[in-house]
Amino acid sequence: MVAPVAVIGSQVARQVARVGALARFSFSAFGAWRTLPAAGRRVARRVLLNQVWFTALQAVPLVIILSSILSFLVISQAVRELGRLGATQLIGSLLVIAIVRELGPLLTALVVAGRSGTAIAAELATNKVMGEVDALEGMGIDPVHYLVLPRFGASIVAVFALTILFDAVAIAAGLLAALANGMSSGRYFDIVLQSLAFRDAGLTLVKGLVFGTIIGTVPSFHGLGVRRAATEVPIASSQAVVGSILAIFLCSALFVAVS
Amino acid sequence: MALPLVFDQVALGHDGTRAVVSLDVPGHRAVCLLGDQTSGVGKLGRFALALEQPPGGRVLVLGENLAALPRRAALAFRRRVGYLPAGDGLLQNLTLYDNMALPLRFGSERSEPDIDGRISVMLAMLNLQHVARLRPAGVNEEERRRAALARALAFDPELVILEQPFDGLTHRAAAQVLEIARGGESAEGARRTVFIIGPSLPDMLRPRVELRYRLVRGRLEPEA
Repeated sequence: MVAPVAVIGSQVARQVARVGALARFSFSAFGAWRTLPAAGRRVARRVLLNQVWFTALQAVPLVIILSSILSFLVISQAVRELGRLGATQLIGSLLVIAIVRELGPLLTALVVAGRSGTAIAAELATNKVMGEVDALEGMGIDPVHYLVLPRFGASIVAVFALTILFDAVAIAAGLLAALANGMSSGRYFDIVLQSLAFRDAGLTLVKGLVFGTIIGTVPSFHGLGVRRAATEVPIASSQAVVGSILAIFLCSALFVAVS
Repeated sequence: MALPLVFDQVALGHDGTRAVVSLDVPGHRAVCLLGDQTSGVGKLGRFALALEQPPGGRVLVLGENLAALPRRAALAFRRRVGYLPAGDGLLQNLTLYDNMALPLRFGSERSEPDIDGRISVMLAMLNLQHVARLRPAGVNEEERRRAALARALAFDPELVILEQPFDGLTHRAAAQVLEIARGGESAEGARRTVFIIGPSLPDMLRPRVELRYRLVRGRLEPEA
């Protein structure tokens, strides 16, 4: 009778301890820029630019394709269906609320988590397994400074910038859909601009920052959490993506609840 | 003046015979401590640099117990010690040149031309110029080991800790690694203090390693 409860209890305690360790890791990564030595900044900046290239710039085509297809489909359907009801002015609300405010940051974060989250976790786990992390420590280089901080920064930059791109492409693709369904560009922009408030844009960008922070820390935490076995690398990658996606959805729900 | 390296009642305890190592490594000497994989000898380098805590005892490096230092201070102190980990620990996404330059770029205020000058000298000394722009995966084991040694010597440390440095090397390459680690000769002996850990030492290198010990059944025994 007691045994199942004990098993559940120990599982819960383990998960809580893991979340606590992740929180500690996130805070230490966040504060690491303050302790980064002046000489190390030059190297860290170079790694950061490399990571921005992999995380942000290489994801641009995928984000453009996803955003334009999503927006084209949604706006095409909306113009057709809402047009029948004489409620085409609701297209603006649909575009702003559904795509710009909710799906834009969410899908962008999922794209970056899928592409780069796995890469970050696998790379750091390999670094650990190959003894590279210990070698860095042995040289007097903090692995958080050299490995984590640039990836953390690049993830924030990537999700933030790609969210702006996603939303801009969504509005542009929405225009094409509206034109294809007989709506003038002037009317389309009137509707969209009426619905788009400064608060929406601000909330979108805050989400980009928060999701970027998640993608910068969760995969790094799982990647550096492996011990010495190569078999742990795919496990760390999988846990990193699952953890990131879960955290992104939870935060997204939290944003809806508080906004 | 403090001894370069002191193991004070350091517990290893792996193979059931809980070994306790006490050893003073004198300056300007090459000292090796041999033991099989299960003896725990391989961890002494990690204990010395406080990368891992020993189950008991303490290690003094250049008179300082790194395990007792705050993290920032310990990281800074490690730059005074050259460390060649087992394997090589080279970063796979950097070229050999960038691997060798990394500690100088990250841990010193030297300008890029200054770093380039020092690395060029090291590359020539270790005969690595032709592979300097290749990544570790593109070169052979000897070249990787020499590059890792060059990286460990980037700050010209007075103490070098080498973990299994001769595994998989030809005798000629092993002799070269040892001579470069010693850093030449001074009136007192080797210019650097070299501490070698591993399962074995090639016979031909014995004359160049002044003090040799082996951990046998938990006891440290000097080798003839």
